Amino acid sequence: MPRLSGFARVTACALWGLETELVSVEVDVASGLPGFDIVGLPDTSVREARERVRAAIRNSGFEFPLRRITVNLAPAERRKEGTGFDLAIALGILRASGQLARDVAELCVGELALDGSVRGVRGVLPRVRRALHGGIGSALVATDNAAEAAAAGGDAVAVATLRLAMAHLDGSARLAPAAPPPPAPEPAWEVDLAHIVGQETPKRALEIAAAGGHNILMVGPPGTGKTLLAQALPSILPPLDEEEAMAASVVHSVAGLVDPERPLLSVRPFRAPHHTASRLALVGGGRPPRPGEVSLAHTGALFLDELAQFTPQVLDTLREPMQEGRITIARGGTSATYPARFTLVGAMNPCPCGKLGDPAAPCTCLPDAVDRYNARISGPFLDRIDLRVHVPRIPYEELRDAAPRERSAEVRRRVVAARERMASRGRRANAELTVAEVRRHCSLDPAAERLVAGAVNERRLSARGYHRLLRVARTVADLAGSESVGRDHLASALLLRA
Amino acid sequence: MTVLTRADPRYPSRLLDLPKPPELWFEGDATLLSREGIAIVGTRRMTPYGERVARELAIACAEAGVVVISGLAQGIDAASHAGALDARGETVAVLGEGLATFDPHGRRRRLAMRIRERGCLVSEYAPLMPAQGWMFAQRNATIAGLARAVVVIEAPHGSGALITARHAQTLGRELYAVPGPLGSPQSAGTNALIAAGTARAVVGPESLGLRAHSAAVSSPVLDRLAAGPLSPDALRAEADEVAELLLAGRIVALPDGRLSRA
Repeated sequence: MPRLSGFARVTACALWGLETELVSVEVDVASGLPGFDIVGLPDTSVREARERVRAAIRNSGFEFPLRRITVNLAPAERRKEGTGFDLAIALGILRASGQLARDVAELCVGELALDGSVRGVRGVLPRVRRALHGGIGSALVATDNAAEAAAAGGDAVAVATLRLAMAHLDGSARLAPAAPPPPAPEPAWEVDLAHIVGQETPKRALEIAAAGGHNILMVGPPGTGKTLLAQALPSILPPLDEEEAMAASVVHSVAGLVDPERPLLSVRPFRAPHHTASRLALVGGGRPPRPGEVSLAHTGALFLDELAQFTPQVLDTLREPMQEGRITIARGGTSATYPARFTLVGAMNPCPCGKLGDPAAPCTCLPDAVDRYNARISGPFLDRIDLRVHVPRIPYEELRDAAPRERSAEVRRRVVAARERMASRGRRANAELTVAEVRRHCSLDPAAERLVAGAVNERRLSARGYHRLLRVARTVADLAGSESVGRDHLASALLLRA
Repeated sequence: MTVLTRADPRYPSRLLDLPKPPELWFEGDATLLSREGIAIVGTRRMTPYGERVARELAIACAEAGVVVISGLAQGIDAASHAGALDARGETVAVLGEGLATFDPHGRRRRLAMRIRERGCLVSEYAPLMPAQGWMFAQRNATIAGLARAVVVIEAPHGSGALITARHAQTLGRELYAVPGPLGSPQSAGTNALIAAGTARAVVGPESLGLRAHSAAVSSPVLDRLAAGPLSPDALRAEADEVAELLLAGRIVALPDGRLSRA
């Protein structure tokens, strides 16, 4: 029989972008006119919990107390969004009304269906991590979220329904914590470098981009394999380390893009938004704020096909993440910061008709039209692209050439070895080297020094261009396993228009 | 902006050959109008070959102290003006619209600014006269009139440059055309001029009575790039030499990543 009045406290977790905070769900059941109020700055989705919770409690065979119920979400000064508080509110009411004999010490995250079943929500991974950080070692989550919660560490108990949650809590039917997901098998790559005929220079550029984290732009007539080359990039990117995997998985969790079976990413993300994508889709935002493509590509690659078709405004918003490795979105009084450290891979035609530079099919564009086309990519944006490579049309004889080509796995080995050298200098990738670090780590041998000195003195090479060149040359040297940057490393870097 | 009438001593006497010598509005150095000049004209849709030849002939003119006359359109015209200016020569641009209404963007805007400073921008139309199709054809007569000789670099059938060629013929100016590959639409008009015997074929600056371009230091890479820009993939074996030439400014990378002679 329910008590006439009572108080209970259950822990939930609020989510703003990637930011999380533990929320104490305080429930007071008191005598008075029957009512159900939620205070503590709930937004509409939280306020609607009243209807879901009322129905879920009744339909699970419990009694919804016909009394004055007040729910407070503390800290009360920040607005709370989303449906993840339902489970905590329901358990709080059941506890405060005496239908649950024990206090709830676990983190409770889940949405309730009217029939009492528990539904998964976005962002369970960061929420459970936040709870662990706050000293709460176990969590009650929906079945869909169980693997994700287990991957965060600690005990994750999957509760399919409110009834099962109650049985688990009062000890009548204890549920075992979900097992952490098994490590992912070696992925099978869709595109291997060995599938691509010819294009030795673009492949080499891709290898350098993968090793040094350098942004790369591929320019060439349509149908020469730019997209295929870009799709081969994941197969040569170095494997994710644990910290990176967690960071990338958290973003995917918040975006609701987690595979329920394998919540932790095992390969670097490769995002390829279409050129009609809005600014919001690309950099994130909205209400509730969600991460955009730049953040989903965090630790991986962002592929922008038909780069010149993106509006200049959209491209310019990419400058901040390309520079800082993160994006801050301020909207409606709140601001959210998402990580966004990605390797940009751009592909575009050389001119509106796409045939410029193709010996077999002469370009028919007017020179001014070609200039206008190229001007769509702004100078500051191009400044942040280290490698620019021409992807030419392949003659038939080369297409037929069946000579064995290098496989991605071999290239990847070199990339991994180069990354190890970079790590010994304290940076994950050479693209992140600051000017001071460039000076320290990219010392040229005398022959290489002579090669660039003239160009810098005659102002054919700007200071920015010089540092960009050295970063790329450093990566070339790292791939070759060389301690110092030599003349031939510099020459390769120059050929890729660094 | 100043106007030159026939009464003005600076008015170029060559223009008196025209049936109706026009008034000339100009910005820049009007004395260039009376100097010895060669008109270099051609299509807007040029090929890399046309661009290179236009540039080389313009440079040869500049080095010989001959004024390069053209129409400041995109393509061959712009390449000729730029070649002359880059070689520190002088150039005259004859516009097909009023000087004040002429407002190009990008590359040609910068070119127009350089010509105002170091050459002469001229138009037979009142400054505020907006461009209309017939004006360009009439302007071509003025180009032919101002020049001692007219060279057509590349012109498909129906090109405006062929109108200039016809005017050159009527006015008794020397007429030259640059031979191009058979089957290339851009060279159809010029090849036809040569075939009909109306124009003499240009096989180098010496055909125009100019001294041949002093042979610059050559190298295998530069020779291969003479035919047009190449993908770095094609020059992979010579990476070292390419790097040096890049840094020396003798070759440049185009926006699409291909390499070209500077």
